[in-house]
Amino acid sequence: MGKNTTIPFGPQHPVLPEPIHIDLELEDEKVVRAIPSIGYIHRGLEKLVEKRGYQEYVYVAERVCGICSFGHGWGYCRAVEQLMNLQVPERALYLRTLWHELSRVHSHLLWLGLLADGMGFESLFMHAWRLRETVLDIFEETTGGRVIFSTCKVGGVRRDIDKETLDRMVTILTGLRAEVEEMMEIFLEDSTVKERLCGVGVMTMEQAREWGCVGPMAKASGLAIDYRCAEEETIYHALGFKPITDTAGDCYARCKVRLLEVLQAIDLSVGCCRQMPDGPIDMKVIGFPPVGEAFSRTEQPRGEAIYYVKGNKTKNLERFRLRTPTNINIPAMVNLLQGCELADVPMIILTIDPCISCCER
Amino acid sequence: MQQMIVIQPQDLLKRVARFKKDGCRLAQILCTRVPEGYELTYSFDKNYFLYNLRLIVPLEESIMSVTSQFWYAFVWENEIHDLVGVQVDFISPDVDYRGNFFQLAEKTPWKDLKNAAPPAQAIKVNLKPGLGVDASVRPAAKKTEAAPAAPGAKTPAAAADVKKTENAAGAGGADKPVTEKEEKNG
Repeated sequence: MGKNTTIPFGPQHPVLPEPIHIDLELEDEKVVRAIPSIGYIHRGLEKLVEKRGYQEYVYVAERVCGICSFGHGWGYCRAVEQLMNLQVPERALYLRTLWHELSRVHSHLLWLGLLADGMGFESLFMHAWRLRETVLDIFEETTGGRVIFSTCKVGGVRRDIDKETLDRMVTILTGLRAEVEEMMEIFLEDSTVKERLCGVGVMTMEQAREWGCVGPMAKASGLAIDYRCAEEETIYHALGFKPITDTAGDCYARCKVRLLEVLQAIDLSVGCCRQMPDGPIDMKVIGFPPVGEAFSRTEQPRGEAIYYVKGNKTKNLERFRLRTPTNINIPAMVNLLQGCELADVPMIILTIDPCISCCER
Repeated sequence: MQQMIVIQPQDLLKRVARFKKDGCRLAQILCTRVPEGYELTYSFDKNYFLYNLRLIVPLEESIMSVTSQFWYAFVWENEIHDLVGVQVDFISPDVDYRGNFFQLAEKTPWKDLKNAAPPAQAIKVNLKPGLGVDASVRPAAKKTEAAPAAPGAKTPAAAADVKKTENAAGAGGADKPVTEKEEKNG
Protein backbone atom coordinates (compact mmCIF):
# COMPACT_ATOMS: atom_id res chain seq x y z
CA MET A 1 0.00 0.00 0.00
CA GLY A 2 1.56 3.30 -1.11
CA LYS A 3 1.35 6.67 0.53
CA ASN A 4 -1.91 8.53 -0.10
CA THR A 5 -1.77 12.22 -0.89
CA THR A 6 -4.21 14.76 -2.31
CA ILE A 7 -2.71 17.43 -4.55
CA PRO A 8 -4.72 20.51 -5.56
CA PHE A 9 -4.10 21.16 -9.27
CA GLY A 10 -5.15 24.62 -10.45
CA PRO A 11 -6.92 27.01 -10.77
CA GLN A 12 -3.48 28.61 -11.22
CA HIS A 13 -0.92 26.25 -12.67
CA PRO A 14 1.86 26.75 -15.25
CA VAL A 15 0.26 24.38 -17.77
CA LEU A 16 -3.27 25.69 -17.35
CA PRO A 17 -4.13 28.66 -19.54
CA GLU A 18 -7.49 28.96 -17.80
CA PRO A 19 -8.78 28.27 -14.31
CA ILE A 20 -10.06 24.83 -13.46
CA HIS A 21 -9.45 23.15 -10.13
CA ILE A 22 -8.79 19.43 -9.90
CA ASP A 23 -8.14 17.54 -6.68
CA LEU A 24 -5.75 14.72 -7.55
CA GLU A 25 -5.86 11.82 -5.11
CA LEU A 26 -2.54 9.99 -5.38
CA GLU A 27 -1.17 6.69 -4.26
CA ASP A 28 2.57 7.31 -4.38
CA GLU A 29 3.00 8.84 -7.87
CA LYS A 30 -0.14 7.34 -9.41
CA VAL A 31 -3.42 9.25 -9.68
CA VAL A 32 -6.25 7.15 -8.31
CA ARG A 33 -8.98 9.77 -8.57
CA ALA A 34 -9.44 13.22 -10.08
CA ILE A 35 -12.22 15.48 -8.84
CA PRO A 36 -12.79 18.61 -10.97
CA SER A 37 -14.62 21.72 -9.85
CA ILE A 38 -15.36 24.75 -11.99
CA GLY A 39 -17.07 28.12 -11.63
CA TYR A 40 -14.14 30.48 -11.15
CA ILE A 41 -15.05 32.49 -14.24
CA HIS A 42 -18.77 31.85 -14.55
CA ARG A 43 -20.19 35.10 -15.94
CA GLY A 44 -23.82 34.19 -16.51
CA LEU A 45 -23.62 35.17 -20.18
CA GLU A 46 -26.54 32.91 -21.09
CA LYS A 47 -28.75 34.86 -18.71
CA LEU A 48 -27.64 38.17 -20.22
CA VAL A 49 -29.64 37.36 -23.38
CA GLU A 50 -32.75 38.51 -21.50
CA LYS A 51 -31.35 42.02 -21.18
CA ARG A 52 -29.74 42.58 -24.59
CA GLY A 53 -31.38 42.95 -27.98
CA TYR A 54 -31.09 39.86 -30.16
CA GLN A 55 -28.83 41.74 -32.60
CA GLU A 56 -26.74 43.18 -29.82
CA TYR A 57 -26.22 39.80 -28.18
CA VAL A 58 -23.94 38.69 -31.05
CA TYR A 59 -21.21 40.74 -29.38
CA VAL A 60 -21.80 38.97 -26.07
CA ALA A 61 -21.77 35.54 -27.74
CA GLU A 62 -18.44 36.39 -29.33
CA ARG A 63 -17.01 37.23 -25.93
CA VAL A 64 -17.78 33.81 -24.46
CA CYS A 65 -14.26 32.84 -25.47
CA GLY A 66 -11.36 34.71 -27.00
CA ILE A 67 -10.11 31.84 -29.13
CA CYS A 68 -13.26 30.53 -30.80
CA SER A 69 -15.05 33.88 -30.65
CA PHE A 70 -16.03 33.97 -34.32
CA GLY A 71 -17.54 30.47 -34.13
CA HIS A 72 -19.68 31.44 -31.15
CA GLY A 73 -20.96 34.53 -32.96
CA TRP A 74 -21.70 32.42 -36.02
CA GLY A 75 -23.43 29.66 -34.05
CA TYR A 76 -25.66 32.19 -32.29
CA CYS A 77 -26.50 34.00 -35.54
CA ARG A 78 -27.26 30.72 -37.25
CA ALA A 79 -29.69 29.72 -34.48
CA VAL A 80 -31.49 33.08 -34.69
CA GLU A 81 -31.57 32.88 -38.50
CA GLN A 82 -33.11 29.44 -38.21
CA LEU A 83 -35.68 30.77 -35.75
CA MET A 84 -36.54 33.69 -38.06
CA ASN A 85 -36.35 31.51 -41.18
CA LEU A 86 -33.72 33.64 -42.93
CA GLN A 87 -31.70 32.52 -45.96
CA VAL A 88 -28.25 34.04 -45.70
CA PRO A 89 -26.54 34.98 -49.02
CA GLU A 90 -23.95 32.49 -50.25
CA ARG A 91 -21.07 34.97 -50.22
CA ALA A 92 -21.74 35.63 -46.53
CA LEU A 93 -21.59 31.88 -45.87
CA TYR A 94 -18.23 31.65 -47.64
CA LEU A 95 -16.86 34.61 -45.69
CA ARG A 96 -18.07 33.05 -42.43
CA THR A 97 -16.44 29.74 -43.35
CA LEU A 98 -13.20 31.51 -44.23
CA TRP A 99 -12.95 33.35 -40.91
CA HIS A 100 -14.05 30.27 -39.01
CA GLU A 101 -11.36 28.06 -40.57
CA LEU A 102 -8.70 30.71 -40.00
CA SER A 103 -9.84 30.77 -36.37
CA ARG A 104 -9.21 27.02 -36.27
CA VAL A 105 -5.66 27.59 -37.55
CA HIS A 106 -5.15 30.28 -34.92
CA SER A 107 -6.60 28.10 -32.14
CA HIS A 108 -4.59 25.00 -33.00
CA LEU A 109 -1.33 26.95 -33.41
CA LEU A 110 -1.94 28.54 -30.03
CA TRP A 111 -2.57 25.11 -28.54
CA LEU A 112 0.55 23.63 -30.17
CA GLY A 113 2.58 26.43 -28.61
CA LEU A 114 1.07 25.73 -25.20
CA LEU A 115 1.82 22.03 -25.58
CA ALA A 116 5.45 22.75 -26.45
CA ASP A 117 5.63 25.14 -23.50
CA GLY A 118 4.17 22.45 -21.22
CA MET A 119 6.91 20.07 -22.33
CA GLY A 120 9.58 22.71 -21.73
CA PHE A 121 10.32 23.00 -25.46
CA GLU A 122 10.46 26.80 -25.47
CA SER A 123 11.84 27.34 -28.98
CA LEU A 124 9.05 25.23 -30.47
CA PHE A 125 6.50 27.19 -28.44
CA MET A 126 7.82 30.46 -29.87
CA HIS A 127 7.91 29.00 -33.38
CA ALA A 128 4.23 27.97 -33.17
CA TRP A 129 3.18 31.37 -31.86
CA ARG A 130 5.23 33.15 -34.51
CA LEU A 131 3.25 31.31 -37.19
CA ARG A 132 0.03 32.22 -35.41
CA GLU A 133 0.87 35.89 -35.83
CA THR A 134 0.44 35.49 -39.60
CA VAL A 135 -3.18 34.48 -39.11
CA LEU A 136 -3.78 37.27 -36.60
CA ASP A 137 -2.42 39.76 -39.14
CA ILE A 138 -4.93 38.46 -41.70
CA PHE A 139 -7.71 38.92 -39.14
CA GLU A 140 -6.57 42.46 -38.45
CA GLU A 141 -6.52 43.33 -42.12
CA THR A 142 -9.89 41.77 -42.99
CA THR A 143 -11.92 42.43 -39.85
CA GLY A 144 -10.16 45.18 -37.94
CA GLY A 145 -9.69 42.96 -34.87
CA ARG A 146 -7.13 40.35 -33.93
CA VAL A 147 -9.21 38.40 -31.40
CA ILE A 148 -12.81 39.64 -31.47
CA PHE A 149 -13.95 40.38 -35.02
CA SER A 150 -17.60 41.47 -34.70
CA THR A 151 -18.10 40.75 -38.38
CA CYS A 152 -20.93 38.26 -37.97
CA LYS A 153 -24.48 39.51 -37.66
CA VAL A 154 -27.94 38.06 -37.96
CA GLY A 155 -28.59 37.92 -41.70
CA GLY A 156 -24.99 37.88 -42.95
CA VAL A 157 -21.68 39.56 -42.25
CA ARG A 158 -20.64 43.18 -41.77
CA ARG A 159 -17.44 43.26 -43.84
CA ASP A 160 -16.54 42.09 -47.28
CA ILE A 161 -13.09 41.14 -48.58
CA ASP A 162 -12.08 42.43 -52.01
CA LYS A 163 -10.58 40.30 -54.77
CA GLU A 164 -7.01 41.63 -54.39
CA THR A 165 -6.98 40.87 -50.66
CA LEU A 166 -8.31 37.37 -51.29
CA ASP A 167 -5.54 36.74 -53.83
CA ARG A 168 -2.95 38.05 -51.41
CA MET A 169 -4.37 35.81 -48.66
CA VAL A 170 -3.90 32.77 -50.90
CA THR A 171 -0.21 33.62 -51.29
CA ILE A 172 0.23 34.22 -47.54
CA LEU A 173 -1.60 31.02 -46.60
CA THR A 174 0.43 28.95 -49.08
CA GLY A 175 3.61 30.22 -47.43
CA LEU A 176 2.15 29.53 -43.97
CA ARG A 177 1.30 25.97 -44.98
CA ALA A 178 4.91 25.27 -45.91
CA GLU A 179 6.09 26.64 -42.56
CA VAL A 180 3.53 24.59 -40.62
CA GLU A 181 4.66 21.45 -42.48
CA GLU A 182 8.21 22.19 -41.39
CA MET A 183 7.12 22.63 -37.77
CA MET A 184 4.96 19.51 -37.98
CA GLU A 185 8.06 17.45 -38.61
CA ILE A 186 9.51 18.53 -35.25
CA PHE A 187 6.27 17.77 -33.41
CA LEU A 188 5.88 14.35 -34.96
CA GLU A 189 9.50 13.19 -35.31
CA ASP A 190 11.40 14.71 -32.39
CA SER A 191 12.34 12.06 -29.82
CA THR A 192 11.67 14.28 -26.76
CA VAL A 193 8.16 15.07 -27.98
CA LYS A 194 7.52 11.38 -28.65
CA GLU A 195 8.80 10.43 -25.20
CA ARG A 196 6.31 12.79 -23.57
CA LEU A 197 3.28 11.99 -25.72
CA CYS A 198 3.37 8.44 -27.11
CA GLY A 199 1.30 5.94 -25.14
CA VAL A 200 0.17 8.57 -22.61
CA GLY A 201 -3.53 9.07 -21.83
CA VAL A 202 -4.79 6.38 -24.20
CA MET A 203 -8.51 6.40 -24.95
CA THR A 204 -10.07 3.75 -27.15
CA MET A 205 -12.84 4.46 -29.63
CA GLU A 206 -15.32 2.63 -27.42
CA GLN A 207 -14.32 4.77 -24.44
CA ALA A 208 -14.54 7.95 -26.51
CA ARG A 209 -18.10 7.00 -27.47
CA GLU A 210 -19.01 5.98 -23.91
CA TRP A 211 -17.64 9.24 -22.45
CA GLY A 212 -19.33 11.41 -25.09
CA CYS A 213 -16.16 12.95 -26.56
CA VAL A 214 -16.21 15.40 -29.44
CA GLY A 215 -13.65 17.20 -31.60
CA PRO A 216 -9.99 16.20 -31.97
CA MET A 217 -10.30 14.19 -28.72
CA ALA A 218 -12.81 11.85 -30.36
CA LYS A 219 -11.15 11.94 -33.78
CA ALA A 220 -7.78 10.89 -32.35
CA SER A 221 -9.50 7.74 -31.07
CA GLY A 222 -11.05 6.97 -34.45
CA LEU A 223 -14.49 8.43 -33.75
CA ALA A 224 -15.22 10.68 -36.73
CA ILE A 225 -17.67 13.12 -35.14
CA ASP A 226 -17.41 16.38 -37.03
CA TYR A 227 -20.39 18.63 -37.63
CA ARG A 228 -18.82 19.91 -40.85
CA CYS A 229 -19.97 16.59 -42.37
CA ALA A 230 -23.63 17.43 -41.65
CA GLU A 231 -26.08 17.98 -44.47
CA GLU A 232 -26.64 21.67 -43.73
CA GLU A 233 -22.92 22.51 -44.00
CA THR A 234 -23.20 23.05 -47.74
CA ILE A 235 -20.00 25.11 -48.09
CA TYR A 236 -17.89 22.34 -46.55
CA HIS A 237 -19.43 19.85 -48.96
CA ALA A 238 -18.54 22.15 -51.85
CA LEU A 239 -14.97 22.35 -50.55
CA GLY A 240 -14.72 18.56 -50.33
CA PHE A 241 -14.27 18.33 -46.56
CA LYS A 242 -13.39 14.95 -44.96
CA PRO A 243 -12.72 14.59 -41.20
CA ILE A 244 -9.19 13.71 -40.06
CA THR A 245 -8.93 10.74 -37.71
CA ASP A 246 -6.31 8.58 -36.03
CA THR A 247 -6.65 5.33 -34.14
CA ALA A 248 -3.94 5.42 -31.46
CA GLY A 249 -6.03 7.53 -29.05
CA ASP A 250 -3.02 8.79 -27.06
CA CYS A 251 -1.65 12.31 -26.52
CA TYR A 252 0.53 11.93 -29.61
CA ALA A 253 -2.49 11.08 -31.79
CA ARG A 254 -4.37 14.11 -30.47
CA CYS A 255 -1.39 16.30 -31.32
CA LYS A 256 -1.16 14.74 -34.79
CA VAL A 257 -4.86 15.24 -35.52
CA ARG A 258 -4.62 18.93 -34.60
CA LEU A 259 -1.51 19.41 -36.73
CA LEU A 260 -3.22 17.83 -39.72
CA GLU A 261 -6.31 19.93 -39.04
CA VAL A 262 -4.16 23.06 -39.27
CA LEU A 263 -3.11 22.05 -42.79
CA GLN A 264 -6.67 21.10 -43.66
CA ALA A 265 -8.04 24.40 -42.35
CA ILE A 266 -5.47 26.30 -44.42
CA ASP A 267 -6.56 24.32 -47.50
CA LEU A 268 -10.23 25.04 -46.76
CA SER A 269 -9.44 28.74 -46.33
CA VAL A 270 -7.60 28.81 -49.65
CA GLY A 271 -10.58 26.99 -51.20
CA CYS A 272 -12.93 29.67 -49.82
CA CYS A 273 -10.73 32.45 -51.25
CA ARG A 274 -10.68 30.83 -54.69
CA GLN A 275 -14.34 29.80 -54.87
CA MET A 276 -15.81 32.93 -53.25
CA PRO A 277 -19.00 33.74 -55.21
CA ASP A 278 -20.08 37.27 -56.05
CA GLY A 279 -23.18 38.77 -54.48
CA PRO A 280 -24.48 40.49 -51.39
CA ILE A 281 -22.99 39.84 -47.97
CA ASP A 282 -26.10 40.39 -45.89
CA MET A 283 -29.85 40.64 -46.05
CA LYS A 284 -32.34 42.96 -44.49
CA VAL A 285 -33.74 41.62 -41.25
CA ILE A 286 -37.12 43.00 -40.24
CA GLY A 287 -38.91 42.48 -36.96
CA PHE A 288 -38.13 40.42 -33.92
CA PRO A 289 -37.61 36.65 -33.51
CA PRO A 290 -41.02 34.92 -33.39
CA VAL A 291 -42.30 32.71 -30.60
CA GLY A 292 -40.40 29.46 -31.02
CA GLU A 293 -37.08 27.80 -30.48
CA ALA A 294 -34.18 26.56 -32.56
CA PHE A 295 -30.97 24.61 -32.17
CA SER A 296 -27.88 25.12 -34.27
CA ARG A 297 -24.41 23.64 -34.25
CA THR A 298 -20.92 24.56 -35.38
CA GLU A 299 -17.70 22.59 -35.37
CA GLN A 300 -15.41 24.67 -33.21
CA PRO A 301 -11.65 24.00 -33.06
CA ARG A 302 -12.25 21.92 -29.91
CA GLY A 303 -15.29 20.11 -31.26
CA GLU A 304 -19.01 20.39 -31.75
CA ALA A 305 -20.78 23.29 -30.03
CA ILE A 306 -24.58 23.46 -29.69
CA TYR A 307 -26.55 26.71 -29.58
CA TYR A 308 -30.16 27.05 -28.51
CA VAL A 309 -32.37 30.13 -28.73
CA LYS A 310 -35.95 30.69 -27.63
CA GLY A 311 -37.83 33.67 -29.00
CA ASN A 312 -40.92 35.42 -27.62
CA LYS A 313 -41.68 38.01 -30.33
CA THR A 314 -39.83 40.77 -28.48
CA LYS A 315 -36.43 42.28 -29.12
CA ASN A 316 -34.93 40.15 -26.32
CA LEU A 317 -34.67 36.40 -26.59
CA GLU A 318 -36.12 34.42 -23.72
CA ARG A 319 -33.31 31.89 -23.49
CA PHE A 320 -29.92 31.21 -24.97
CA ARG A 321 -27.96 28.10 -24.23
CA LEU A 322 -24.50 27.13 -25.35
CA ARG A 323 -23.04 23.66 -24.91
CA THR A 324 -19.37 23.90 -25.64
CA PRO A 325 -16.95 21.10 -26.56
CA THR A 326 -14.94 21.41 -23.34
CA ASN A 327 -18.14 21.00 -21.40
CA ILE A 328 -18.60 17.51 -22.84
CA ASN A 329 -14.88 16.59 -22.84
CA ILE A 330 -14.41 17.12 -19.09
CA PRO A 331 -15.78 13.67 -18.14
CA ALA A 332 -13.22 12.05 -20.49
CA MET A 333 -10.45 14.10 -18.90
CA VAL A 334 -11.48 12.92 -15.43
CA ASN A 335 -11.40 9.31 -16.58
CA LEU A 336 -8.07 9.60 -18.41
CA LEU A 337 -6.40 11.08 -15.35
CA GLN A 338 -7.34 8.08 -13.23
CA GLY A 339 -4.46 5.63 -13.24
CA CYS A 340 -1.90 7.90 -14.88
CA GLU A 341 1.42 9.05 -13.42
CA LEU A 342 1.50 12.48 -11.79
CA ALA A 343 4.14 13.65 -14.30
CA ASP A 344 1.76 12.88 -17.18
CA VAL A 345 -1.13 14.93 -15.78
CA PRO A 346 -0.11 18.19 -17.55
CA MET A 347 0.17 16.47 -20.94
CA ILE A 348 -3.20 14.74 -20.60
CA ILE A 349 -4.94 17.94 -19.55
CA LEU A 350 -3.26 19.92 -22.33
CA THR A 351 -4.11 17.45 -25.09
CA ILE A 352 -7.78 17.78 -24.20
CA ASP A 353 -7.33 21.51 -24.91
CA PRO A 354 -9.75 22.64 -22.21
CA CYS A 355 -11.31 26.05 -22.63
CA ILE A 356 -12.83 26.94 -19.30
CA SER A 357 -14.19 30.30 -20.49
CA CYS A 358 -16.31 28.42 -23.02
CA CYS A 359 -17.19 25.74 -20.52
CA GLU A 360 -18.54 28.14 -17.90
CA ARG A 361 -19.92 30.96 -20.07
CA MET B 1 -32.15 19.06 -38.54
CA GLN B 2 -34.07 18.43 -35.36
CA GLN B 3 -37.19 16.99 -33.83
CA MET B 4 -38.95 17.81 -30.56
CA ILE B 5 -40.66 15.00 -28.62
CA VAL B 6 -42.80 15.96 -25.62
CA ILE B 7 -42.84 13.36 -22.83
CA GLN B 8 -43.89 13.01 -19.20
CA PRO B 9 -41.16 13.10 -16.51
CA GLN B 10 -41.88 9.51 -15.46
CA ASP B 11 -41.11 8.29 -19.01
CA LEU B 12 -37.69 9.91 -19.13
CA LEU B 13 -35.48 6.94 -18.22
CA LYS B 14 -37.36 4.61 -20.54
CA ARG B 15 -36.95 6.99 -23.49
CA VAL B 16 -33.31 7.69 -22.71
CA ALA B 17 -32.56 3.96 -22.57
CA ARG B 18 -34.27 3.57 -25.93
CA PHE B 19 -32.11 6.29 -27.49
CA LYS B 20 -28.99 4.67 -26.07
CA LYS B 21 -30.02 1.32 -27.52
CA ASP B 22 -30.54 2.98 -30.91
CA GLY B 23 -26.93 4.23 -30.89
CA CYS B 24 -27.64 7.88 -30.16
CA ARG B 25 -25.34 10.00 -28.03
CA LEU B 26 -26.57 12.48 -25.45
CA ALA B 27 -25.58 15.88 -26.82
CA GLN B 28 -26.77 18.21 -24.07
CA ILE B 29 -29.29 18.86 -21.30
CA LEU B 30 -30.98 22.25 -21.22
CA CYS B 31 -33.09 23.72 -18.44
CA THR B 32 -35.25 26.83 -18.73
CA ARG B 33 -37.15 28.27 -15.79
CA VAL B 34 -40.79 28.73 -16.82
CA PRO B 35 -43.88 29.67 -14.74
CA GLU B 36 -44.92 25.98 -14.58
CA GLY B 37 -41.58 24.91 -13.17
CA TYR B 38 -38.53 23.68 -15.05
CA GLU B 39 -38.58 23.06 -18.78
CA LEU B 40 -35.99 20.38 -19.49
CA THR B 41 -34.70 19.37 -22.91
CA TYR B 42 -32.52 16.31 -23.44
CA SER B 43 -30.89 16.34 -26.89
CA PHE B 44 -29.70 13.16 -28.59
CA ASP B 45 -27.66 13.05 -31.75
CA LYS B 46 -27.47 10.40 -34.41
CA ASN B 47 -25.96 11.07 -37.84
CA TYR B 48 -26.11 14.82 -37.15
CA PHE B 49 -29.86 14.72 -36.52
CA LEU B 50 -30.97 16.09 -33.15
CA TYR B 51 -33.81 14.40 -31.24
CA ASN B 52 -35.01 16.53 -28.32
CA LEU B 53 -36.97 15.15 -25.40
CA ARG B 54 -39.00 17.92 -23.78
CA LEU B 55 -40.54 17.64 -20.32
CA ILE B 56 -41.84 20.00 -17.65
CA VAL B 57 -40.97 19.30 -14.03
CA PRO B 58 -42.98 21.17 -11.37
CA LEU B 59 -40.92 23.24 -8.91
CA GLU B 60 -41.39 20.98 -5.91
CA GLU B 61 -40.71 17.75 -7.80
CA SER B 62 -37.45 16.08 -8.77
CA ILE B 63 -36.18 14.30 -11.86
CA MET B 64 -34.27 11.03 -12.19
CA SER B 65 -30.64 11.21 -13.21
CA VAL B 66 -29.68 9.71 -16.58
CA THR B 67 -26.09 8.98 -15.48
CA SER B 68 -27.01 5.28 -15.37
CA GLN B 69 -27.30 5.43 -19.18
CA PHE B 70 -24.99 8.31 -20.08
CA TRP B 71 -22.40 8.71 -17.32
CA TYR B 72 -21.07 11.98 -18.70
CA ALA B 73 -24.48 13.66 -18.16
CA PHE B 74 -23.27 14.46 -14.64
CA VAL B 75 -21.75 17.72 -15.93
CA TRP B 76 -25.14 19.06 -17.01
CA GLU B 77 -27.12 17.52 -14.17
CA ASN B 78 -24.84 19.16 -11.61
CA GLU B 79 -24.99 22.37 -13.63
CA ILE B 80 -28.79 22.60 -13.72
CA HIS B 81 -28.88 21.72 -10.03
CA ASP B 82 -26.37 24.41 -9.09
CA LEU B 83 -27.63 27.18 -11.36
CA VAL B 84 -31.38 26.64 -11.70
CA GLY B 85 -32.11 24.46 -8.67
CA VAL B 86 -33.51 21.34 -10.33
CA GLN B 87 -33.45 18.43 -7.87
CA VAL B 88 -31.83 15.49 -9.69
CA ASP B 89 -32.15 12.12 -7.94
CA PHE B 90 -29.64 9.27 -8.05
CA ILE B 91 -26.74 10.94 -9.85
CA SER B 92 -23.94 8.39 -9.95
CA PRO B 93 -22.40 8.71 -6.42
CA ASP B 94 -18.83 9.26 -7.65
CA VAL B 95 -19.88 12.37 -9.60
CA ASP B 96 -22.68 13.78 -7.42
CA TYR B 97 -21.26 17.11 -6.27
CA ARG B 98 -24.32 17.96 -4.12
CA GLY B 99 -24.31 21.62 -5.10
CA ASN B 100 -20.55 22.14 -5.18
CA PHE B 101 -19.76 21.72 -8.87
CA PHE B 102 -19.93 25.45 -9.57
CA GLN B 103 -18.22 27.81 -7.12
CA LEU B 104 -21.03 30.37 -6.84
CA ALA B 105 -21.46 33.38 -4.60
CA GLU B 106 -25.21 32.81 -4.53
CA LYS B 107 -27.09 29.50 -4.48
CA THR B 108 -29.22 28.70 -7.55
CA PRO B 109 -29.01 32.21 -9.05
CA TRP B 110 -31.29 31.38 -12.02
CA LYS B 111 -34.10 29.82 -10.05
CA ASP B 112 -36.07 33.00 -9.40
CA LEU B 113 -38.31 34.02 -12.32
CA LYS B 114 -38.17 37.68 -11.29
CA ASN B 115 -34.54 37.72 -12.41
CA ALA B 116 -35.90 37.69 -15.95
CA ALA B 117 -37.20 41.26 -15.61
CA PRO B 118 -37.13 43.59 -18.66
CA PRO B 119 -33.95 45.57 -19.26
CA ALA B 120 -33.25 48.71 -17.33
CA GLN B 121 -33.76 52.06 -19.05
CA ALA B 122 -30.09 52.90 -18.73
CA ILE B 123 -29.07 49.85 -20.76
CA LYS B 124 -30.94 51.23 -23.78
CA VAL B 125 -28.21 53.81 -24.13
CA ASN B 126 -26.10 51.17 -25.83
CA LEU B 127 -28.73 50.45 -28.44
CA LYS B 128 -27.86 53.40 -30.66
CA PRO B 129 -27.35 52.34 -34.28
CA GLY B 130 -23.69 51.94 -34.97
CA LEU B 131 -22.83 51.00 -31.40
CA GLY B 132 -24.76 47.97 -30.28
CA VAL B 133 -27.04 47.37 -33.23
CA ASP B 134 -26.36 47.49 -36.93
CA ALA B 135 -27.94 50.52 -38.56
CA SER B 136 -29.19 48.62 -41.60
CA VAL B 137 -31.04 46.11 -39.44
CA ARG B 138 -32.66 48.19 -36.80
CA PRO B 139 -34.41 51.48 -37.52
CA ALA B 140 -32.78 54.50 -35.96
CA ALA B 141 -34.13 55.58 -32.60
CA LYS B 142 -36.92 58.14 -32.77
CA LYS B 143 -35.77 61.64 -32.14
CA THR B 144 -37.68 63.45 -29.43
CA GLU B 145 -37.49 67.04 -28.49
CA ALA B 146 -35.88 66.60 -25.15
CA ALA B 147 -34.36 68.96 -22.68
CA PRO B 148 -30.64 69.67 -22.96
CA ALA B 149 -28.61 66.61 -21.99
CA ALA B 150 -27.78 66.29 -18.35
CA PRO B 151 -24.18 65.54 -17.35
CA GLY B 152 -23.30 61.88 -17.96
CA ALA B 153 -26.35 61.16 -20.14
CA LYS B 154 -25.88 59.99 -23.73
CA THR B 155 -29.46 59.94 -25.04
CA PRO B 156 -32.59 62.01 -24.46
CA ALA B 157 -34.16 59.08 -22.55
CA ALA B 158 -31.18 58.78 -20.28
CA ALA B 159 -31.12 62.56 -19.91
CA ALA B 160 -34.69 62.49 -18.67
CA ASP B 161 -33.76 59.74 -16.22
CA VAL B 162 -30.85 61.68 -14.91
CA LYS B 163 -32.98 64.80 -14.58
CA LYS B 164 -35.57 62.91 -12.52
CA THR B 165 -32.80 61.55 -10.36
CA GLU B 166 -31.39 64.98 -9.75
CA ASN B 167 -34.81 66.21 -8.64
CA ALA B 168 -35.17 63.32 -6.23
CA ALA B 169 -31.66 62.94 -4.87
CA GLY B 170 -30.25 66.39 -5.33
CA ALA B 171 -27.34 67.57 -7.42
CA GLY B 172 -24.30 65.35 -7.69
CA GLY B 173 -26.17 62.05 -7.15
CA ALA B 174 -26.97 61.44 -10.83
CA ASP B 175 -25.10 58.18 -11.29
CA LYS B 176 -26.10 56.35 -8.16
CA PRO B 177 -29.82 55.59 -8.76
CA VAL B 178 -29.08 54.35 -12.33
CA THR B 179 -26.57 51.92 -10.90
CA GLU B 180 -29.13 50.75 -8.35
CA LYS B 181 -31.67 50.21 -11.06
CA GLU B 182 -29.19 48.21 -13.08
CA GLU B 183 -28.28 46.13 -10.07
CA LYS B 184 -31.91 45.48 -9.27
CA ASN B 185 -32.47 44.17 -12.76
CA GLY B 186 -29.12 42.44 -13.13
